[in-house]
Amino acid sequence: MTRWSGCRGALALATVVAAPVAAQSMRSYTVARPVPAAPVPLRATVDFGAGRVAIRAGDPGQLYATRLQYDAERFTPSQRYDPRTGILRLGLDPIGGAGIRVTSRQHLDQQAQIAFAPGVPLLLDANLGASDATIDLGGLALTSVAVRSSASSTELRVSAPTTGSCRLASLSIGAGTLVARELANAACEQLRIEGGVGRAVLDFRGSWRRDAQVVVDLAMGTLTLQVPRGIGVRFVATERFLSRLSAEGLTRRGEAWETPGYEAAAHHLSVMLTTNVAGVEVEWVEP
Amino acid sequence: MRAGSAPSRLLLLLATVLAPLVSAAAAPSGGPSADNLVERLKTLLPFAVGGVAPLPQAVRQAEPGGPTVRLGRLDAPEQLERDLRASLAEPLAETELTVVDGMARLGNYSLGSTEAHRGHVVVLKGNAEIHGELEGNLVTLDGDVVVHPGARVRGDVLAINGRVRDTAGGITGTWSELQPSVAAAPPPPVAAVIGGRLAGLAGVFLTFLILGFGLVTFGRPNLEIVSDTLTHSPGRSFIAGLLGQILLLPTFGMLVVGLVLTIAGALLVPFAAAVYVVLAIVAVLGGVFAVAHAMGETITRRRMARGIAISPNSYRYLTTGLLAIAMTWLAWIGVGWVPVAGPLTFLLATLATWVVATLGFGAALLSRGGIREEFSGRLLPAAMMTDEYLWATPQLGVPAVKRPPKEPS
Repeated sequence: MTRWSGCRGALALATVVAAPVAAQSMRSYTVARPVPAAPVPLRATVDFGAGRVAIRAGDPGQLYATRLQYDAERFTPSQRYDPRTGILRLGLDPIGGAGIRVTSRQHLDQQAQIAFAPGVPLLLDANLGASDATIDLGGLALTSVAVRSSASSTELRVSAPTTGSCRLASLSIGAGTLVARELANAACEQLRIEGGVGRAVLDFRGSWRRDAQVVVDLAMGTLTLQVPRGIGVRFVATERFLSRLSAEGLTRRGEAWETPGYEAAAHHLSVMLTTNVAGVEVEWVEP
Repeated sequence: MRAGSAPSRLLLLLATVLAPLVSAAAAPSGGPSADNLVERLKTLLPFAVGGVAPLPQAVRQAEPGGPTVRLGRLDAPEQLERDLRASLAEPLAETELTVVDGMARLGNYSLGSTEAHRGHVVVLKGNAEIHGELEGNLVTLDGDVVVHPGARVRGDVLAINGRVRDTAGGITGTWSELQPSVAAAPPPPVAAVIGGRLAGLAGVFLTFLILGFGLVTFGRPNLEIVSDTLTHSPGRSFIAGLLGQILLLPTFGMLVVGLVLTIAGALLVPFAAAVYVVLAIVAVLGGVFAVAHAMGETITRRRMARGIAISPNSYRYLTTGLLAIAMTWLAWIGVGWVPVAGPLTFLLATLATWVVATLGFGAALLSRGGIREEFSGRLLPAAMMTDEYLWATPQLGVPAVKRPPKEPS
């Protein structure tokens, strides 16, 4: 009799504690805006702290188009566009629903698909937190781009030449992986890479239209530079503490390492390195 | 007849009859036919598909301090949805809502092709069909926005729990849709989670058991010395283990730097690093086995003291000890799926395992991997080596001598 009462009590307790498991939901938010008759440059800030993000060029008639799928218990969507200044803010705002989650990330898979008009000058500032990002800047009228992520995997590609005059591409990774492909297509004047702990692969294939300057500040990790043969490369390591530079095919000239015939090369890649406990490697690839 | 079957049949019949008509009407828009069919059915049969829509009517302005919304900016759609839902009254016809610089409508709303409206519009529980010109923002709650060819909306559009259809590009501002909640993919059943974790624990337990039995078979004296060190000096073992963990990395750094500074030593860095890592792993694992051995020995001896006849040997000690350690993880498996209690149990199990590993690592360090017996309680201080002690205590390795038989008197 006592034993049965105990069993019933345990069953009731299990039923009560099991109840909160089912109370979670996802919502979707879709937003778009047509390109105005006289467009001003789009200064877009994307905030998406957790989940998967895809950013790319979209329909030429849509200034921006976004579809967000989000955990409605933790985030709320927001978009704000000022047609006078061209300032756009897109993303998810936390609503203070933090705490212990019953289920795993796979079951509450947040996603963001963001597209920008190819013909409108774009200044993109993406704060991606711990999101896994896939960014394709190909075809965009890129003026500048800044991507910041803390602990995630970021894959950036410039699949086609950009049309704008890109001044600066700034990529900052906290503790994660950054793979940037076909960077020459972006034709940015300067590329800044800041890394805490992680791995970065910079591939400079693509259509070379101007010389590029790369500034790398890497604390711990590995950096691989994939450079097409025929590009003149010059390395200046301003500070290298416990770092290893594997620069096959480069010769030392004063404080710098250069490819033979650097001055005569059609295009130049100038790399300024500041590294601590890092491995830097140059790989020569076919254009 | 089951409840609800008659309306279903009626709906099916109507859909069959209307399908050709609907297809013909939908064809010019060029959209997907299935979507169009659903949308046309919703338009034609709102009572059957989307529930009974309230009669189209204007919503009265609320009294001062009553429900009020501002539609100047539609950048916080969820907040706007909450405000609009809060304004809905029961019955719906009694809803009151003030729209700053605009108006509110209940039920389906239509702006004719010859009409123009200036100001924001909120449509509650109905669709908004725009044929004319609207200068202002438009929001629907539980309804669609349809902007027909030739119509113009000079402002932003938001459909909450609805769709925006603008095939001719009549919206000059931002359009957005906030879709209803979709249940997330359900978490796996609790039984499956428990089963998976049990299998994982069984795998780890069996691996440890096999490794432990190997250690008992080939390194029993060392294991027993580490185990005895732990039993006799648990505090020292814990402190040594804690310090060992803290100094593990700096020691490794010093080792590497020391080797790098010598020309010949630099070549040995990879070998030394590998040996160091292997030694650290062996020390921790061996220590864990020693803790399991000590725990098992204590449990076995207590059972024997209660009169239970069992064979005391190191294999039994190790199995019993590992089972005892596994119990903490078994508790986590049992309640791991429960909110709050699950993560707490996980933390406790992790803490318990860390304490076990620290104790074992410390004992392994103190006994130099089971070579030194100083802390194992096996060596007696000289003061205790009295004649009485030596006479009364059987010495290991000294066979007992039989008492000589009494000589017959």
